[in-house]
Amino acid sequence: MPITFPHFGSLTYVFEILLRELGQNDLIVPDKPSKRTAELGTRYSPEFVCTPFKITLGTFIESLERGATVLGMGGCNAYCRFGYYWPVQKLILEDLGYDFRFIPIDYEDPIAILRTLKKESDGYNYLKVFRALQITWVKNRFTDLVDKLLNKYRAIESIKGTTDRVAKKAFRTIVETKGMLNIRRLKKTLPKMFEKEIEIDKSLDPLKIAIIGEIYVVFEPALNVDVHRRLNDLGVIVETPASLRRFIDIGYKLNPFLKLHREVSVKIAQPYLEYRCGGEAQESIGDTIYYKRKGWDGMVHLYPFTCMPEIISRSILPQISKEYDMPVLSLVVDEQTGAAGFQTRLEAFIDLLYRKREKDKERKITKKSTKQNVTIQSVYGG
Amino acid sequence: MASQKIRVGIPRALLYYKFFPMWTTFFEEIGAKVIVSPKTNKILKDVAVSIAPDEDCYSTKLYFGHVMALKDKVDYLFIPRFSSGGFGKGHEKNVSCPKFIGLAEVLRSVFPDLPEIIMPYFSTAKNNHGKMKFLKYCFSIGSKFTKNPFKIRTAIKKALRNQKEHYQHIQINVDELKKWERSEIVLNETPNLEEGDAPLKVAIIGHSYVLNDPYQSIGIMNKLTIHGVDYITSEQMPRQLIERQMDYLESNMYFEYEREIIGTVMHFLESKTIDRILHLIIFSCGPDSIGGELASRFSRRKPEIPLLQLVIDEHTGTAGTNTRIEAFIDMLRRRKNIKEKEEKIKIRRKIECL
Repeated sequence: MPITFPHFGSLTYVFEILLRELGQNDLIVPDKPSKRTAELGTRYSPEFVCTPFKITLGTFIESLERGATVLGMGGCNAYCRFGYYWPVQKLILEDLGYDFRFIPIDYEDPIAILRTLKKESDGYNYLKVFRALQITWVKNRFTDLVDKLLNKYRAIESIKGTTDRVAKKAFRTIVETKGMLNIRRLKKTLPKMFEKEIEIDKSLDPLKIAIIGEIYVVFEPALNVDVHRRLNDLGVIVETPASLRRFIDIGYKLNPFLKLHREVSVKIAQPYLEYRCGGEAQESIGDTIYYKRKGWDGMVHLYPFTCMPEIISRSILPQISKEYDMPVLSLVVDEQTGAAGFQTRLEAFIDLLYRKREKDKERKITKKSTKQNVTIQSVYGG
Repeated sequence: MASQKIRVGIPRALLYYKFFPMWTTFFEEIGAKVIVSPKTNKILKDVAVSIAPDEDCYSTKLYFGHVMALKDKVDYLFIPRFSSGGFGKGHEKNVSCPKFIGLAEVLRSVFPDLPEIIMPYFSTAKNNHGKMKFLKYCFSIGSKFTKNPFKIRTAIKKALRNQKEHYQHIQINVDELKKWERSEIVLNETPNLEEGDAPLKVAIIGHSYVLNDPYQSIGIMNKLTIHGVDYITSEQMPRQLIERQMDYLESNMYFEYEREIIGTVMHFLESKTIDRILHLIIFSCGPDSIGGELASRFSRRKPEIPLLQLVIDEHTGTAGTNTRIEAFIDMLRRRKNIKEKEEKIKIRRKIECL
């Protein structure tokens, strides 16, 4: 019974790890979504459903063609449409005549996650399932780390292409490392690996931009036209605060001394959007303020067309951008998004950011000089 | 004295159509002057579409227009952040569209010059708000208008009673539904029929803020009645039938108001007591994109009762809809005639056999 799951950027590795840890080695790892995937998905999807639905449906169709019979998918009981993806996709795929079974995982409830995983595991007991989940979430921390390093080093590398190679190697090491001790050791070895193998150009003073928004769009390079790489190629360091760990990292949740980034940003967002309304609406708002305080230069906000929660945050973001003097570029993504249009907008945005930075510097200098003038005048009395 | 009353504005859109008895009575009882925005019209729509965020659904865009119509006339705007309500089974899980939660804050952020917005947040689903929380909100809102707690208490009581009566008035029970199916009673307007013609039975389903707003629903109810159609809306359906249908779904349908829609479709597909189902979808409505697809997939599997889905947005013209509705009704009549003929032939054959 070959199992498959949707392609989800670097989180594809995480899903692969989880299933392998559960003793399911008959996997069909999904291909990166292509033009055909989007076309297939769009052809059979409702007209104005959000784009992740279409892409995941397309991925499922392609995987089913390759022989998969079990489809793993998230389900939830939240504000977003995502929880109802699988029942609708099931009807659509059934009408297309495929023979398959869905595994819906209610990711909002840790106990439900364990229960579903136990049922799907290779006859494991709860302790073993928990252990498997633990390995997954710890490894998920490192995939997040590699993502972060990749998006940083790719902007400042002196020989193009080295970082991508190293990152690929790093992802495979994460997948293949066995034993908790060895896995924990990755925390030190991975950054060292990047440091050693990549030559960086130290003369650069790159811009720093955070990419926020709906998690699937932010993570899936096939859908967001590879924004991270495009920005890196323009010489900008990029970071994505979104992470799947807010659902599966029970270790962080139980530890009173550690705080997930999400909790911090939600707290910051309170005055603007007090209550959770699904998706990453609150996080997007909180992160904008968070990164301003950290001294970053700008934000890129991505969201799929007709995404309900992100439209809320998109409507509030201009106010925050004005109040905190933080440039935000909101971009709608759907299956018809063209690369050229994206590229132009990103280039223009970055030009603006460079100019803004210079202006800010000038302002600082003039402020300093006026202050000096004042002191000189006060000393000499005139 | 009347001029000194504090004015509270309630936009006539979205949840207003569900909760207007409760809201208006409450504010009137505590001594405020309730101003409801005018019914949706062309000018209001044009304003709404030009100022609202582009990606919002048509109904939410109209909400912006209604708020603009009230802006200068009131001291307070009442825009609750509503996630789910009602006490009892099922409400601890189900939520409504996330836009209802964010709406007040979006408006405050987009138009900083609005009057103060009263925005209580109520959710029985995720935050386990109970009756105590409800009372607390009522009192904290009431204290802005009156210092007399007893006045607030009676206001709450009256408001809840009115809301309950409203529900009872709208929702019919199973017996009434059966009577309607046999054309013994008329639930809405009496269909315009020539003598001897049997009325066509149509279920019109959609969100309450579409069904009750003639401008949003392009006056479909009126047109259908003129053409001799006897209709029932999804709002009127008995709750217990809908809840029973929901159990057949594989996963809990957690959008509170989408349950009504899918439940009605499923019920009529199963009972086959009507001629056709008409589903009004608002463009880019999130829950409707899921619900509409479910409905259409279900109806494809049980094709006896045809389902027509009309997608409405700000560019929908009356002429196009008129043609479609006329075609729709012609088809219904032809279908019905063919069916009747077939039955007559059957009976004739039976007589011949005798």
